[in-house]
Amino acid sequence: MARPQPRYRRSFGDLSERALAFWLLVPAALLLGFIALYPVLRLFYTSLFALQLTVSPDSSFNGLTNYSQALHDPRFWNAVKNTLLIVLVTVPGALVVGLGLAMLANLPFRIKWPVRLGLLLPWALPLVFVGLIFRWFFDSQYGVVNDVLVRFGGERLLWVTNPDLAFWAICLTLIWKTSSFVALILLAGLQTIPRELYEAAKVDGASKWQEFWQITIPLLTPSILVAMIFRTIAAFQTFDVPYAMTGGGPGNATETLAMYVRVQSIENLNFGYGSALAVLMFLISMAVTLVYLRYIRGVED
Amino acid sequence: MKKLLLALAALTVLSTAVAQQARLRVFVGGQQRPDVMRKIFDLYQSRNPGVRVDIETGGATSDQQQQYLTTVLASRDPSIDVILVDVIRPAQYQASRWADTLDKYLPGVTRENLLKQYLPAYARADVVNGQLVALPSFADAQFLYYRKDLLEKYNLKPPTTWDEAIKQAQTILAGEKNPNLNGIGFMGNISEGTVCSFLLPIWAAGGDVTDANNRLTLTEAQAKDSLQFWLDLMDKYKVSPNNMAEKAQDTIRQEMQQGRWVFATLFAYAWNRFQNDADSQVKGKIGVVPLPKFEGGRSASCLGGWQWTISDFSKNKAQAYKLTRFLSSPEVSKILAIDASNLPVFPSLYKDPDVLKANPWFADALPIVQNARARPVHPRYTEIADVMRKGLNAVLARTKTPDAAAKEIVDGLRAIYR
Repeated sequence: MARPQPRYRRSFGDLSERALAFWLLVPAALLLGFIALYPVLRLFYTSLFALQLTVSPDSSFNGLTNYSQALHDPRFWNAVKNTLLIVLVTVPGALVVGLGLAMLANLPFRIKWPVRLGLLLPWALPLVFVGLIFRWFFDSQYGVVNDVLVRFGGERLLWVTNPDLAFWAICLTLIWKTSSFVALILLAGLQTIPRELYEAAKVDGASKWQEFWQITIPLLTPSILVAMIFRTIAAFQTFDVPYAMTGGGPGNATETLAMYVRVQSIENLNFGYGSALAVLMFLISMAVTLVYLRYIRGVED
Repeated sequence: MKKLLLALAALTVLSTAVAQQARLRVFVGGQQRPDVMRKIFDLYQSRNPGVRVDIETGGATSDQQQQYLTTVLASRDPSIDVILVDVIRPAQYQASRWADTLDKYLPGVTRENLLKQYLPAYARADVVNGQLVALPSFADAQFLYYRKDLLEKYNLKPPTTWDEAIKQAQTILAGEKNPNLNGIGFMGNISEGTVCSFLLPIWAAGGDVTDANNRLTLTEAQAKDSLQFWLDLMDKYKVSPNNMAEKAQDTIRQEMQQGRWVFATLFAYAWNRFQNDADSQVKGKIGVVPLPKFEGGRSASCLGGWQWTISDFSKNKAQAYKLTRFLSSPEVSKILAIDASNLPVFPSLYKDPDVLKANPWFADALPIVQNARARPVHPRYTEIADVMRKGLNAVLARTKTPDAAAKEIVDGLRAIYR
C-alpha cells in the first residue's frame, strides 16, 4: 500500500493542464450535444421539408415554405397571442403572489415546516394533475368555484367554455401552480438579506413600507430576475394546464403555441410544418431570454 | 459441480425453447376490454403451441391511443406486431405506410369471399385505395337511449323524428319539475366524438359530407342547419342545459346513469354500463332505438368500430397475419359479443341465441348498424375532425354564430379536399 501508483501517473502525467481540461469536458459536451444541440439542429432541418405522414411517408425539400405558411396562418397568430397574454398575466401574477408567500414563510414562525410544506406542495405537483384538478374546480355544474359563487348569491359561470373566463381560469391555475416556485427562489434571496439593515432602519424610524421598498426590494432584485427568467421561459412553453383544462377550447380560443405545435405534428402528422412552428417558438423564447440577459448585464455593471 | 452443470444445461435448453417460440405483441386500448382480449389470446396460445401473445394496453380514448401509437410507428419501432385501431384510422395508416397490406396473403377471390361475410360498412372501411389494410374486430354505432319509465309515465312512444324527441323531452321536463333532469344529451365538447354530433343532423336531413367518389359536397347551408339544430336544443327548445360545450360522451353516460337525462345519443358501450354498473340508478329503465330523423330525411347513426391491423414494421408478419385472421373470425366476434357486449361484425351473430341471451337488445341493433354512416374516410381525417369539432364546440360555447362557424368549416374542408 505504501507504493505510489506509477501507472496512473504515466498515463495522465504527460497531459498538460489544458489537455486534461479538454478531455474532462468532452463527456459533458457530448451529452449536451446529443440532448440539446442535435435535436434543435434536426428540428430546424426537418422544418425545411414538406413532410406530412398523412399525405406520404416521403419528404421533399421545400425551403422556407413552411415558415411563410406559418406567418399567413391565423391559427398560428391566435396561438402566439394567447401565449403572450398568458406570459403577461401569469409571470407578474406569480411574482406578486410568490413574493407574498416568501415574505410569509420568512416570518419568524415557531414551527416552520407547515408553512414551507404549503409552499412546496403546488410546486411538487405535476402540471397536468393541476390542470385536471382545476378543471373540476371550474366545472360549471359540479365545480367548487361555482358552488361558492352560488352560496354567495352569484350566478353559475361557464368557466371553461366562455373564452374570457376560460383564459382567466387558466391564468389563475398557472399562478397558483407557479407562485410557489417563485416563492422558493425569493425565500432563498430573503434569507441572505442581513437582519442588521432592518434593525438600523428601525433605529432611523423607517416605516415597514419604507423598509420593504428601500431594503427588501433592491436587495432581492437579483433573485427576482432569476425567478422571472425561469418563469417567462416556462410560460412561453405553457401546454399542460390549458390542455387538461380546456383542450384549447372553446374552438381555438385558449390554444397556446406549444399546443398548436402538438396538433400539427402529433395529431396531423405534419412534421415539416410542426417543426417550423416549433422553431418559431424557439426563436421567440430565445429573443426574450436575450433581452433578460442584457438587462442582467446592465444591472451587474 | 455436477449439479451446477446440470442446471446450466437445463437453462440452455429452456432458453433455446423460448427462442424458438414466436412472440407477438398486440396493442389494445384500455377501453377495449383487455381482460376479455387476454382470454382470447390465451385460447389462441393453447391452440398454437409455440406462439406467445403479449398484450400491451394503452390510453382510454381513441385519441390517447393514437398519440402513443404515432410515437411508436413514426419511429418505425418493430416492438408491436398487431394493433387494434379505430375505424377512422385505416386510411391514414395506409397513406403513412404504417400498415402491412393483407392482400399478399390472400388471393383476390378469397379476399372477396372473406369480406363478404362482414357487415359491408367495415369491408368498405378496411379497403383503402384498393388495398386491404385491416380486418374488423367489432362493430359500434350511436343509438338513441331513452328512459323507458319516464316515456311510459307520460304515455309516449319512443320518438322516430327529432321534432317528436324535442316535444317529448319538453313534456317530460315540464311534468317532472326536477331541476336535475335534462332533456336531450349529445357530445359537444372539444373531443373527436363531437364530429359525430356535427354529422348526425346532416345525415338525418338526407345530406352527407362527400359523394360516392369522395368529393366534397357539404354546403354551408347544410353545415349551418346542423350547428343551429344543436344550439336550438339549448336556447330555443330548452331541452339541453347551457353548458353542452363541456360535455364529453362519458360525462353524458355518467349523468344518464345517475338518472339525469331523458334522451341521449351514445355509442353501444353505454348499454352495458347502465344495466350492470353497481352505481347505476337506471337499471332496467333504459330503452334503445335508432337515432331520430328529420321529416323527409332518414334515420342515420354514426359508425364506430375497431379493426385489427398489422404493423408494417413487425418482424413477425406471417405469424401476425395468422393471429389477425383468428381475431377477426366469427368465433372471436361471438366471444367479444358475449363477454364484452361488443356488437358483432358478422350479421348472422345478431340472431345467435347465446349472444342474444347476454344482450337481448342486439336483436334490434342489426338494422341500426347496417344503416350507420361512416365519418369521412380520408388520410387527413384528423384535420377534418379538427375543423368539425372545433366549429360545433365554438357554436355551443356561443363564441361563434352558426353562420360564421359553417363558413369556417366548409372553407377548412375545401382546403383539405381541394
